[in-house]
Amino acid sequence: MIEVKDLHKTYFMGKIKVPALRGVSFSVKDGEFLAIMGPSGSGKSTLMHLMGCLDYPTAGEYWIDGKEISSISDDRLAEIRNQKIGFVFQQFNLLSRTTILQNVEIPLIYRGVSLRKRRQLAREALEKVGLGHRLTHKPNEISGGQKQRVAIARALVNNPAILLADEPTGNLDSKTGQEILEIFNDLNRQGHTIVLVTHEKEIAEYSRRIIELRDGIILKDEVVV
Amino acid sequence: MILETLRIALRSMASNKLRTFLSMLGIIIGVAAVIAIVSIGTGARGEVTSQIANLGSNTININPGTQRGEGGRISRPYTDIFTLELGENIQNFSPAVQAIVPVGQGTALLISGSSNIRATVVGTAPDYQAINDYFPERGRFLLVEDLDVNSNVIILGSEVAGDLFGEEDPLGKKVRMNFGNRTHIFNVAGVMQEKSIGLAGNFNTQVYIPITTYMQKVANTRYVDSYIAQADSSTDAKIAVGQIEYFLTRSLGSSDKFRLTSQDQILEVIDQVTNTLNIMLGGIAGISLLVGGIGIMNIMLVSVTERTREIGIRKALGAKRRHIMRQFLIEALSLGGIGGVVGIGFGRLGAGVIAHFGGWALVISTVSVLLAFGFSLLVGLFFGIYPAYKASRLDPVKALSYE
Repeated sequence: MIEVKDLHKTYFMGKIKVPALRGVSFSVKDGEFLAIMGPSGSGKSTLMHLMGCLDYPTAGEYWIDGKEISSISDDRLAEIRNQKIGFVFQQFNLLSRTTILQNVEIPLIYRGVSLRKRRQLAREALEKVGLGHRLTHKPNEISGGQKQRVAIARALVNNPAILLADEPTGNLDSKTGQEILEIFNDLNRQGHTIVLVTHEKEIAEYSRRIIELRDGIILKDEVVV
Repeated sequence: MILETLRIALRSMASNKLRTFLSMLGIIIGVAAVIAIVSIGTGARGEVTSQIANLGSNTININPGTQRGEGGRISRPYTDIFTLELGENIQNFSPAVQAIVPVGQGTALLISGSSNIRATVVGTAPDYQAINDYFPERGRFLLVEDLDVNSNVIILGSEVAGDLFGEEDPLGKKVRMNFGNRTHIFNVAGVMQEKSIGLAGNFNTQVYIPITTYMQKVANTRYVDSYIAQADSSTDAKIAVGQIEYFLTRSLGSSDKFRLTSQDQILEVIDQVTNTLNIMLGGIAGISLLVGGIGIMNIMLVSVTERTREIGIRKALGAKRRHIMRQFLIEALSLGGIGGVVGIGFGRLGAGVIAHFGGWALVISTVSVLLAFGFSLLVGLFFGIYPAYKASRLDPVKALSYE
């Protein structure tokens, strides 16, 4: 359960105030598949950073699983990112020098899971996205679609409350992109809460609900038919 | 967790081997310097100490002082104050002196058959052998009876014996000695063992005759050149120096007329010299460790910048500040530690080469190895703190969007 209450975020470029979010409120129930849509500069990246607990809001409240994060410490925030949030990025953001299995293990390392348990959980997550046979490859030895599957496995491995995907198909051809979106669809059907951030309407339409942002405020919040 | 981090650090170091090596170079040189300096210092000191032991143990040399040159006289050592009786009186006065022998020496030409050789003639007494830890290999050394009757016996140093007699047995043979413009005939009574050449000079090119014979028949003098006294222990030797000093000042009327040299004094001077050297070389080692540390800091800062995105990813996946801090600290520690190990290797090599040329045994003390290794870890840790801190404070949003 996620609740966003009158969230503001203002950046300072020197002395000039740049408002990125100007009071955004909505809530996401467990098991929802939500898309946040808007052109660049609409504030959707800022909103994603706040929802991903990567940043603090200037004003307003952000509740995730019954906790309000705008006043907790940096390290507590790291814990929440580790346990409640799974990130999938446009650029995949895999560590290039480590194997696929080790990439998926990273969130478990920071959670303090033992090596054997880690191996097992990471392998299971990779099997879920159909990559159980590529464990010892390095990221530069696999295709873009496979990289994004690794990233999804990594996001899932700690069984987070919410999966945050920022333009997950932006670096993929349309066929591979659809495969990835199908995976999200499957995961949602299995009960995972998914928030998809995109600027493309067709992609947003894979979800069940679209929030459209423009100039830091919500334009529309509607259910996809 | 720690092992995992260490693996990450080693992998990142291995991925850029040349840069890693260059950044460790300062540490390597510093540590190598420490190891080599300590080893060379120990080796050289051991060598010098054994040379001093070569002088005989706990001995005190009593030499005449030097007169000042006044009124047209040239400054030269006193030659008319040391008598045989004075030597005996020193021993009678000073309980710390266990033995004392007079020494009179000059150069002579020794002739046997068709061979001749110039050698140092040492007139002395039987205790000379014990004081110098130097004994005959064949025959005998001087006896008290020889001194009593001014007998013409001669004991040859090993080199002199070889030069004069070759393979022949010199015992019982006669040797002619040209001293000044007179010739004396001596009977060879013994040949000394070979003694390694040390600070005391080469004993093997000397010959030994009774001091009484030397004074009355050869050199025609009532005086001896010097005395060598011996004490039972190094503590006694210090006491003996005080007692002799007191006695001689009293009986000669001035402390300018004699000069005492004990092994302790020589050791002290040598210690001072080696200490000064050690401080200087230690300073050099310290500076190179400092420079090495700055090298590590530099490369760590570059590494943090290069891996900003990795830091962002790790933070997004739940790394706390201390996780990032630990990762980079372990990397800096590994740089220092590996640099230290390589440096210890190089230092050992350098010390080995120098020990080879210096002719002493290679000594690498465990303490110096541990100290050097500890220092390189410490340097890595200290100079890794700032880069690691900087990495741990990176804003995840900015770090993730870093290209």
